[in-house]
Amino acid sequence: MLQFVIAGLVLGGIYAIASAGLVITYTSSGILNFAFGAMAFFIARFYYYLHTQESWSIAAAAVVSIVLAAPAMGVVLYFLLFRYLRLSAPLIKVVATIGLLVAIPSLATLAFGNQAIQQAPGLAPEPVAVYQFLGVPVTLDQVIVYACVIVTVVAGALVLRYTEVGLKVRAMVDSPAMTGLSGTNPGAISVGVWAVSTFFAGLVGVLAAPIIGLDSGKFTVLIAASLAAVVAAKLRNLPVAVLVGLAMGVATSLFQRYLPPASQWTTEIIDAVPFMVIALFLVYSLIRGGRVGDNEGWGGVLDRAITPQGESRLAGSASGTVETASVGVVGKYAGPLLLMVVVGALPMIVSGYWVGLFAQAFAYAVIFLSWTIVTGEGGMLWLCQITFAGVGALTTAQLASNHGWPVLAAALVGGLVAMVMGALVGFLSIRLGDLYVALVTLTFGLLMENLVFTLPTFVNQGLGLSVNRPGFATTDLTFTYLSLLVFVVIALFIVNFRRSTTGLALNAARWSEAGARTSGISVVQQKVIAGSLAAFIAGIGGALIAMAQSPFQPAEFATFQGVVWLAIFVTIGVRSNVAALIAGVMFVFPDALFQYYLPSWTTLPEILSVLFGLGAISAAKYPEGALAENSRRLRALLQGFRPARPGGEPPGDLGVPVGVAAVSPAPRISEQVS
Amino acid sequence: MTTAAAPPPSPPPPSSSAGPAVAPADVPPGSAAALAARGVTVRFGGLMALHDVSIEVEPGAIAGLVGPNGAGKSTLLGVLSGLQRPNAGKVWLRGEDVTQASPRARAARGLARTFQQPELFMGLTVREHLVLAYRARTARHRLWRDMFDPRSLLPASRTENDRVDGLLELLRLTRVAKAPVAALPLGVLRLVEVGRALASDPQVLLLDEPLSGLDIKASENLLLVFRQIVDQADPPLSLVIVEHDVAAVLSLSDTVFVLDFGERIAVGTPEQIRNDAAVRAAYLGDSEPAQRATPTSEIPAEAAASGSEPSPSLADLEGRS
Repeated sequence: MLQFVIAGLVLGGIYAIASAGLVITYTSSGILNFAFGAMAFFIARFYYYLHTQESWSIAAAAVVSIVLAAPAMGVVLYFLLFRYLRLSAPLIKVVATIGLLVAIPSLATLAFGNQAIQQAPGLAPEPVAVYQFLGVPVTLDQVIVYACVIVTVVAGALVLRYTEVGLKVRAMVDSPAMTGLSGTNPGAISVGVWAVSTFFAGLVGVLAAPIIGLDSGKFTVLIAASLAAVVAAKLRNLPVAVLVGLAMGVATSLFQRYLPPASQWTTEIIDAVPFMVIALFLVYSLIRGGRVGDNEGWGGVLDRAITPQGESRLAGSASGTVETASVGVVGKYAGPLLLMVVVGALPMIVSGYWVGLFAQAFAYAVIFLSWTIVTGEGGMLWLCQITFAGVGALTTAQLASNHGWPVLAAALVGGLVAMVMGALVGFLSIRLGDLYVALVTLTFGLLMENLVFTLPTFVNQGLGLSVNRPGFATTDLTFTYLSLLVFVVIALFIVNFRRSTTGLALNAARWSEAGARTSGISVVQQKVIAGSLAAFIAGIGGALIAMAQSPFQPAEFATFQGVVWLAIFVTIGVRSNVAALIAGVMFVFPDALFQYYLPSWTTLPEILSVLFGLGAISAAKYPEGALAENSRRLRALLQGFRPARPGGEPPGDLGVPVGVAAVSPAPRISEQVS
Repeated sequence: MTTAAAPPPSPPPPSSSAGPAVAPADVPPGSAAALAARGVTVRFGGLMALHDVSIEVEPGAIAGLVGPNGAGKSTLLGVLSGLQRPNAGKVWLRGEDVTQASPRARAARGLARTFQQPELFMGLTVREHLVLAYRARTARHRLWRDMFDPRSLLPASRTENDRVDGLLELLRLTRVAKAPVAALPLGVLRLVEVGRALASDPQVLLLDEPLSGLDIKASENLLLVFRQIVDQADPPLSLVIVEHDVAAVLSLSDTVFVLDFGERIAVGTPEQIRNDAAVRAAYLGDSEPAQRATPTSEIPAEAAASGSEPSPSLADLEGRS
């Protein structure tokens, strides 16, 4: 057993260092770095490039990659991005790191090539030395991991507790604004914190590469597992994060020891350990009935006071709302309708292969509509819409192909199954706060991807699953318009949803929990409604994709791919129905065009990914997305006015006195009452 | 300890009204009270925000809640509205024990409130705030049914329009009814909050510093509106108003509760409060206030969390005119 505990401490140690890096960054900057795994992958890939491809010595490659390049990456990202996010809403911060998560692996591919690397060396020289410890064989790679954990935890604790730098960091954790007022430059501390955080990322990357290989997807899974420790630590408690990280590693190893090795369930249970930790935390929180309140988790009273309200929020920002209200009905609907008509007419013009692509594009657009509700209206970042799409696709395929259901009925049930899952995930996570929603949905997606989507029934010996299209829409053109019809119906539903009491209540729940609750509105209920509806829509979209590109592989619904979808959608505009349509087209066509016309340009998909990632990062500046921003500029141009500055003058004749101040003449209240 | 438009019969003389008159926490108040709390204690870790505080407001009465900065006024409003769970004590709303009820459940039973920092919905217009609050109280099923119901696209009922438009007119918000609240200044936002609260047709309305950010004329007019609303309300509406402008509170309230360092140090009519030695000591910083009994180790959380806002002066207690 000791052997398994010692072995488990290796993985646990990597979890622990990653969790420490995530917690330190969150507590000091308010940013939960979803790109931590991508950063780790980039540095690990750089180390591999230096050490293996360029034949540098281990020490030189490690110093340049981990000690120099990794902190430099943190400093550069701080100056280019993170310093602008300091006062942004939590959702914007998450989206920005999601953009990095999409862009960085592609940048690594552009920089170092796209060769698959199964075996990556660690920090120990080859062949790796093996020692005996209490009768248990321990490799030098393992010893290095233990040493790194001890050094980082002990050194980190000592620095934070006993040094002036540590004092300043702790002061900034409590309140960056007050730290600044007391004469310390919070920016300088932030640079240092980001450098340390990316150093941790680099260290994790190089330590983990020999274990999991150099695959950006596996790094994302590794960091998602570390996020479980961060969740258990309620985002802030560093010792708990480290301990839970270590415990998860040991638990994983013990499962390997005691569960039957031949059973497929053993593998799945082992993969699910981090998700079990999150599930336990969620159930514990549910029983305890407390609210964690991630929004209160960062900064002090002054920081919260100076954080802009109604601005810098993803979609539906105040300025956007003001402008929308000022353009009138024609201005509001003419542009979107025109765009929809143009896009809708295109399948009639093109032929063959391209028509089929439109069917796919419209199916993706339906899935993107799910974010219109849950993110655009509800202000939540769900990272598992692709999982719900996968559930819809798999359910449809099972019912239609194996049980003889009519395919449209099967699709409807697929949507309903996804909706039930959405309701459950939402019910467990929403009460904890928006950051937890992002964390839990990400890990739920990975859990489904690794446990359910890989079941033999669905993989079908690598052949995938087939779904027949409805009898009246078997051709590409008819099916394309069926998909467009579904899109239009759901888009109209969303338009009505926004105007309905339900939409108003969701808006209330989004902008002020206290205001909503004391007005008689249940925040959890309204957000769960939004999440469930979104899951249903994603499920329907998944069913359409299954029909559009049958046969399909469950692996096509990988969580990371869903994050790319989100990056595309956020770039264009997460609140607009038309943006969903354009995002669907943007997702399908550029890639297809490049592959069709420029087959030799293998790096173009990576460039596209980088652009999508950068687009998501741009949400920090343009929360409404590119479509709304450009529409605004176009309108301003057409009207001959300069673009209105966000948060500028109020619309209409608000200069006229309003409110009770206008009651005149009015006797003094003291004369009236006393 | 009670109150209504007339001076309360039961409270002891102001100078001795702090601790001894508090009833046991498990004894329900008379069912006539619109809102009551007994023995409320709130601790934030080692900080004592409220200690054994009781309050009772009768239907149609206006109760003022004053005290120096950090006295625990907003914390008490949090307890009354359900946003803050007390460590001890109970809260009754129209005779019903709501100590364990959520803010939403209390809102459904006729409690509404405003906030020191307006808690508005940035994506909605002024009118939509009132419409939503009205429907949340009077047609709860619409919160989930409307998205599927095409009838929701039809014009609203005349009752709803009359109520909402009447409130907008009363608060002089008609001009900005269709403006998103994100575009409005703080003073108007406070009015929107008041309108939203009133749109739910509450029987008890808690107001947390409603005059903050308003100029003198606007403040006086809003106080006038409050009095008008209370006088005309049917069924009766009770107000609990927390305000730093003590003179305004004294001029409006039927009964005034005074908190200091988390304890209730006085209760009585405005006149009684003006002459209360403990109150004067609390506001003027008397080194040996007669009734203060807070342990020195227990620093009120609100005081610790907020800045050093100057306390109202004696002139405030005596009226500004």
